[in-house]
Amino acid sequence: MRTLFVQFAGLALWIAAAWSQQPPAAETMLRHAIELHQAGDAAGAIPEYRAYLQQVPGNAMARSNLGAALSHMGQYEEAIVEYKTALESQPGNLPVRLNLALAYYKTMEIAQAASELERVVAEKPSDRQALFLLADCELRLGENTKVIGLLSPLEAQPVDDKALDYLLGTALIRDDQTARGQLLVDRILRYGDSAEARVLMGTAKLGARDYSSALEDFKKAVELNPRLPDVYSYYGIALSGSGDTPGAAAAFRKELESNPNDYTANLQLGILLKQDEDYTGARHCFERALGVRPHDAAIRYQVATLDLEDGHTDEARVELEKLIEEAPRFVEAHVSLATVYYRLKRKEEGDKERAIVLRLNAEKQGAETGGKGK
Amino acid sequence: MKATLPAYACLWLMLPGLPFPATAASPVPGDSACTVCHLTQGTHYRTTPMADALEKVDVCRILREHPDLSFQEGPYHTHIARQGDRSILTVTNGAETFTVPLPWAFGRGRAGQTYVFEYNGAFYESRVSFFDALGALDLTMGAANSKPQTILEAAGRHMGAMEARECFGCHSNGGVFEGKLHPEALVPGVGCQSCHGPVQEHTDAVHAGDPVAAELPHLGALSAEDMAELCGRCHRTWSQIALNGPRGVNNVRFQPYRLVNSKCYDGGDRRIRCAACHDPHGELETNPAAYDAKCTACHATALHTKVCRVAKANCVGCHMPKIELPGAHARFTDHQIRIARAGDAYPN
Repeated sequence: MRTLFVQFAGLALWIAAAWSQQPPAAETMLRHAIELHQAGDAAGAIPEYRAYLQQVPGNAMARSNLGAALSHMGQYEEAIVEYKTALESQPGNLPVRLNLALAYYKTMEIAQAASELERVVAEKPSDRQALFLLADCELRLGENTKVIGLLSPLEAQPVDDKALDYLLGTALIRDDQTARGQLLVDRILRYGDSAEARVLMGTAKLGARDYSSALEDFKKAVELNPRLPDVYSYYGIALSGSGDTPGAAAAFRKELESNPNDYTANLQLGILLKQDEDYTGARHCFERALGVRPHDAAIRYQVATLDLEDGHTDEARVELEKLIEEAPRFVEAHVSLATVYYRLKRKEEGDKERAIVLRLNAEKQGAETGGKGK
Repeated sequence: MKATLPAYACLWLMLPGLPFPATAASPVPGDSACTVCHLTQGTHYRTTPMADALEKVDVCRILREHPDLSFQEGPYHTHIARQGDRSILTVTNGAETFTVPLPWAFGRGRAGQTYVFEYNGAFYESRVSFFDALGALDLTMGAANSKPQTILEAAGRHMGAMEARECFGCHSNGGVFEGKLHPEALVPGVGCQSCHGPVQEHTDAVHAGDPVAAELPHLGALSAEDMAELCGRCHRTWSQIALNGPRGVNNVRFQPYRLVNSKCYDGGDRRIRCAACHDPHGELETNPAAYDAKCTACHATALHTKVCRVAKANCVGCHMPKIELPGAHARFTDHQIRIARAGDAYPN
């Protein structure tokens, strides 16, 4: 999937308008910068653009070109600064905004990328590339229903699109709409065996806790396309579920080699490191995951428990109380909060939390028993 | 232990099924370093079931006394035969045969004893266990939930690295450090350091004549809550069971969870902590009447607390009923202290 998006990460290279209004020296510099840039010498173009912009700081297109050259060199943080400056004077410039979104995407500031892409898609709903990139961002942010909303209108179109099937299928399966997701898996299988299809099938099996079968699918997916985003994350989850925690840790690390900010790999590796009592390593992973999904309850819970471990009991209490306020049925948070209260010698509140846990467990058990009886 | 207990305790809360807390470095193996000074406690402790929670098969009493054990499960015939100091597990279905030496025996056999073997670099829990009530082999608890598809599965269940670390971590000492299991370093059975923590600094300080540095955390001062966490490291904490189950009667053997659910449990009251009733250094008291004084420490007319209107003795016989655990061939005392009425559902 990543390669899919790389192809439209192309430069929005602009031949700056109003040459004639530039001082001759500046005009020469800009012309030279663009020539270098077009010839593929982004490194050479960058100082030329910078020198030009010192003389003509208000040229948004030159600034956007500088951003593109910086992106080409992998200097995304600097590119973001240039794109944002360019957009200040031209907020309606969609190609520049798309490039800004791509730079955010590359630095794994997924929420920011999604925010910019939403604006692009809102202005130009027909931009399929922006739409798919937005869907990918939402998927990474765990916003499955948004992905379904974005891509469902395209589902009925006759054009076969593996990316569409993959993104939408993943969102549907994650959203427990397994039957509808399975239809897309079948569509993908029409293209032949592929990593995408294997990941989707494996994901559905993970949902059913069939780890050994899922493991086979992810193993095959890794063989078919080790560069498919998340493939090693899923493989790691299946390995972990099968009891092979060292193998799982290796798989998560493999994912992070190509995608250092991957939410799932960071969360899962962090949990494994925490089990191995490597709290520094675990915190590092959790903080990276938190960078991608700052409001995610699972990762905030993990950080809170690390705080508890580190003796920052009150900080843990504050976060756990917030989590419970947001998600009153979050059993793990209630359990940890009970411990926090006991540690803080707040017995009554601890007892209350334990009573809540027992009630929630009883309700869950009752629902399961009731479900079986039907 | 005061310094380390909170750390261990909250570890358990972070994730279901966390491993036995490991020390930062390999501890002094066994109890020999402790018994040099604490001979009485050490000698006394050696008589407890916990001290024999794990045995090497060469010294395993049950396997020595039962040199020829067999079990039939569908097409699979399991045989554990004694050969000198070794016990060999053989499983066959006629077409295939799997043979492996058994190096480890988990449990003293008072309820049951399960074997762990190594195969292809991984640990496996034997599919059959020895049960004292039967004097014979039967399926290991939980094994009935699956049907073996291969000869290896008929021999044992693959244990993940974390599970192996947990099992050995609780049933032995000195074998888990730096977050990893080191079978070559472990000493079978629960030992002094399993509860008291690493003693290297303590012994060094004693030898150096530094009583301040020699001081160990005083476990006797732990509250009911902290002790439930300490014992729960192996017997399962309330948090673990609350999060992961098992639900129903299967959690009866996880005493800290059951005790904490008791109406009379108060985490700050030492009269209800584990060690109030059980001497961690001594044999398990099996005479119900011996526990009466523990109950009357709280429930007494003189204390103006609720007293039993039915009986004055053998409190635990009614208020902590023994419950048959399916598949365990043993009855376990339910530590959820309560008014247990005939026909009442098992309180979960």
